[in-house]
Amino acid sequence: MQEYGTHTQANGRKNDKHRAAIPMIQLVSFHLAGEEYALDILRVQEIIRTQELTRVPNSPAFVEGVINLRGRVIPVVGLRKRFGLDPIPADKHTRIVVVEVHGTVVGLVVDSVSEVLRIATDTIAPPPRLGKVEREYIQGVGKLENRLLLLLDVDHLLSGQEQDQVGHVTRSNDEEEEEQS
Amino acid sequence: MSDEFALDPELLQDFLTECGELLQQLDEDMVSLETSPEDEELLNRIFRAVHTIKGTSGFMGFTSVVELTHQAEDVLNLLRHRERKVTRHTMDVLLAVSDQLGVMMEDIREQRDASYDLSTLLAQLKEIEEGHDPSFPVSAPQPADAVPGPSPASASVSPVVQKAAEPTAAATAPAAMPAQTAASAEPADHAQGGGSRKAAAAANEGDRTIRVNVGKLDELINLVGELVLERNRVLQISREVASLGIPDSVRSALNQATARLSFITGELQTASLKTRMVPVETLFRRFPRMVRDISKALGKDVDLLITGEETEIDRNVVEGIADPLVHLIRNSLDHGIETPDLREANGKPATGRLHIDASQQGDHIVILVQDDGKGMDPERIAKKAMEKGLVTAERLRTMSEREILDLIFQPGFSTAEKVSDVSGRGVGMDVVRTNLKKLNGTVEVDSELGQGATVRLMLPLTLAILPVLLVQAEEDVYAVPLRTVVEIVRVDRESIHRMDGAEIMRLRDEVFPLRHLRALLGHPPADATADSLRVVIMAIGERKIGLVVDQWLGQEETVIKSLGSYLGHVDGMAGATISGDGRVRLILDPAVIAGSLRSPQR
Repeated sequence: MQEYGTHTQANGRKNDKHRAAIPMIQLVSFHLAGEEYALDILRVQEIIRTQELTRVPNSPAFVEGVINLRGRVIPVVGLRKRFGLDPIPADKHTRIVVVEVHGTVVGLVVDSVSEVLRIATDTIAPPPRLGKVEREYIQGVGKLENRLLLLLDVDHLLSGQEQDQVGHVTRSNDEEEEEQS
Repeated sequence: MSDEFALDPELLQDFLTECGELLQQLDEDMVSLETSPEDEELLNRIFRAVHTIKGTSGFMGFTSVVELTHQAEDVLNLLRHRERKVTRHTMDVLLAVSDQLGVMMEDIREQRDASYDLSTLLAQLKEIEEGHDPSFPVSAPQPADAVPGPSPASASVSPVVQKAAEPTAAATAPAAMPAQTAASAEPADHAQGGGSRKAAAAANEGDRTIRVNVGKLDELINLVGELVLERNRVLQISREVASLGIPDSVRSALNQATARLSFITGELQTASLKTRMVPVETLFRRFPRMVRDISKALGKDVDLLITGEETEIDRNVVEGIADPLVHLIRNSLDHGIETPDLREANGKPATGRLHIDASQQGDHIVILVQDDGKGMDPERIAKKAMEKGLVTAERLRTMSEREILDLIFQPGFSTAEKVSDVSGRGVGMDVVRTNLKKLNGTVEVDSELGQGATVRLMLPLTLAILPVLLVQAEEDVYAVPLRTVVEIVRVDRESIHRMDGAEIMRLRDEVFPLRHLRALLGHPPADATADSLRVVIMAIGERKIGLVVDQWLGQEETVIKSLGSYLGHVDGMAGATISGDGRVRLILDPAVIAGSLRSPQR
């Protein structure tokens, strides 16, 4: 994999010479339910192994819990749950990708992380017709040799409707609570 | 004034900063002067401040400012040479001058070209200078007060003293009266004592302090907080290591080292927290002027007594209680303390009394706002709360008087215009409670109809450390703030009863409502076959409840962390903390646990 990455970079540099106007972006790619996704490397703070999570009651189901990241409490979102995919138990490949979104730090649980690569922005195509939910969080599709990378829109993923959903879940819990008492 | 704005902006900025500081000091000093009119040091300081403002304004070419300060300076000069007395009227005029100067400085800052009508102020100052003081006969009605050096403070106290001295008055208003007198006589002494003490302290500390950015202190305290957590972790690991088969000599060396580490870390934490502690005086300082202005506007006579202002409190807490306190003081003045004639008609001294006290009780700071006004009427509060649909008639019958008074803190209890005729209180009291809650504090009210009301604010000494009790529900561990924990008990199932669909438990002679932690968290209930339950008895304000948990896991000192903006507010959780084993624990919000019980039954 390392070799492949280097190859891509060299390729990129060669391309630079010919088409200097085409900007390159660096991506971190990871796997989720058989698909390969990628994130802008500038958004990724670090990648850590999974650790024991503390569950947060009355929070949305896709919030797996909170962890202690060197003295900071950060929420962790299960991307499988977020996308409505079947959850799988954590194994030795499971990683938490720590991203920063609008000043807050959030961890994303992924099946495994593969590599860091550079691609030219002109190889990124608009998202194809996927499922409705998925398309909302996909910025575009990066074509790389014979692979397809789904570029994740983190800002969108962790804001906007997301917050509404958090609010909604809290409210419905309230109602249940009141009915119980 | 327009051409003056062509001045060097930097120079102008310096001028404004200097004048701003001087004016603030002036305000404080003038209000203190009212209570200790004989304080020469104070008079000199006021004179110098006005003189400096005059000088620099002259240099900058602000002629209106010069005109006003010049005339004020003349009056102050007479005052400090004891040629005129400090009277209430003089102080009114001088405070008006200070306000006017504030307006002028603001105009200069905003580069507004304003013209001022200073004729009234200047005329008033002139009158004082010439020895006509219209208030003189008013503030000193007794010939006895005409002796040299009557102070407004003694003038306002003396009617009370005289009234108490009349045997008839003491007979009509039993017991309360002598107490009143003693208390009212106190402020003057206290203020004077405080003034000189303050001056001495300032002189001593002058060159022994440095100014440090609060951000740096916060960072230091946060780091120490982290260190405490790591220490807890080391202690836990060393206990585990000690239980393994290691030589006695190593074990004892390890014990010594960890004990020492533990001690030093604790001391470091206390010492670093102290750096952020400030006397509440910094907050209380603004109240004399405020009380003076409000009571004057309302046509009420009020003696303000401030005690315990040296009590130290975390600076971050001070910021959070400023607004609630202002609110409470306004409430007392507006709705609590009656007008002088009404007070006299009720056999009370015409001058009302407002007492603000701060004290440290254990790891809490208690602030009292106490007035001797008309108090709160539980019946009217109950009626009002019912009209507002906050409580049912059924529920009211079972409520104690204190619980009824507590209703004023319910959101929606008060809508400004109506409340002032009904209970006379409660305007935005829910906001007071909400603010206090944010600081992990509580607020309570106590009232005796016709005798006055006391609002008690309880605050943690610091926001940085939170001792907690760890409890378990299913496999999750939660932290309960230890200050709310009264005791932990194992309760037999037989002593648990159901009443109106709610579970209650009896312990010794008390009855507590029960709440299940699992239910609060939305977990399935525990296996119902166990014949006893583990209960944490919690006190939240005056309310006690029993919280049923799966297991108690012991006590820990923790540092509160926010859950972050992504999760935002999570229902029932006050925050998170990191435990000795490095795991995140959620802190239960005691108010929510109690509050979910309080909600009216439907």
